[in-house]
Amino acid sequence: MSKIKKWQVPVFVTFLLLGLLITVQFHTQQNYLRDLPQQSTDDLVLQFRQNNEKNEELEMALAELESQQNLFTTNISEDEALIKQMNQEVSAHQVAIGLIPVEGPGVTITIPANQPIMYYDLIDIINELWNCQAEAIAVNDHRINNSSKIYWTEYTALTIDGKAVSFPCTIKAIGDPDKLLSGLNLAGGILSNLSTYGINPTINEEEILSLPAADEPTVKHLRPIK
Amino acid sequence: MWVPILGLIIGLLIGSVIAIPIPASLAKYLSIAVLAALDSAFGGIRAIFDDTFDATILLSGFFTNTLIAALLAYLGDQLGVDIYMAAVFAFGVRLFQNLAIIRRYGILKWKNRRENAKIKRDQGE
Repeated sequence: MSKIKKWQVPVFVTFLLLGLLITVQFHTQQNYLRDLPQQSTDDLVLQFRQNNEKNEELEMALAELESQQNLFTTNISEDEALIKQMNQEVSAHQVAIGLIPVEGPGVTITIPANQPIMYYDLIDIINELWNCQAEAIAVNDHRINNSSKIYWTEYTALTIDGKAVSFPCTIKAIGDPDKLLSGLNLAGGILSNLSTYGINPTINEEEILSLPAADEPTVKHLRPIK
Repeated sequence: MWVPILGLIIGLLIGSVIAIPIPASLAKYLSIAVLAALDSAFGGIRAIFDDTFDATILLSGFFTNTLIAALLAYLGDQLGVDIYMAAVFAFGVRLFQNLAIIRRYGILKWKNRRENAKIKRDQGE
């Protein structure tokens, strides 16, 4: 019974190869049928619809995300505008309180040495300049701000913020030069007053003057009222 | 009779495990090759019944038929002649003839065996 007949091996080989061929062809054909051109119109229409729906959904999502992006962008630009505005305000305030060096048109008042000038004369001059809407004042390139003290000591005579004022002394004031000049030259005003004591300052109109920054004010107890 | 069935099953298993990729454009020629292989294989079975079986004829027929069928189908496509159809017809007709003859032999064999068994039983009584 176990004796191999002469036909068995070749037939076995033939059928083995046949089986191999059939499976290969089967796989190929299945793949081929799965290709788009081989599918039925209904299936293709269904697929097309499904893809269309998905596409619409994705487009909607995209539009939503784009609008969100726009929102963020406008927010950012608004914030930037706000920051810019705040920076401008800050620098305007810094200019006003003398925290940064400034320049502009104005006048210089030069008081020569060896003249009998008193600290209140200097205060009068500065007050007159403020009255004439001077925007920034410096004495010998020392910026006068809201906490500047003008006084005198026994040894050095005139002091500003505790520092001696050397002569000849130059007072620089930024503002409308015409207003400043007219204020200073007023009949019975500061200059005529000084001239009675033999003090004759030189006054020059300047197209551009640059003034240094004042010292940083110390703010310890101050806080804004809300 | 289990030899061809066993061979077929093993072949199917091997083909399933090793997925041999064939380009879709060759699928048509491969299908004709499969038809030719079917024809050759059943021709071989028929030859066993006919007592004209020859291993060389079976194997050479198997390989040349499959190759030539595929090549001719390809050539026909290139020339615009449906040699493909001719191959399907020729192999198809022969395949059914072979199957019919195999069936007839099988039935005869089965009947003979029953007759023999009957005779044996009669003799035994």
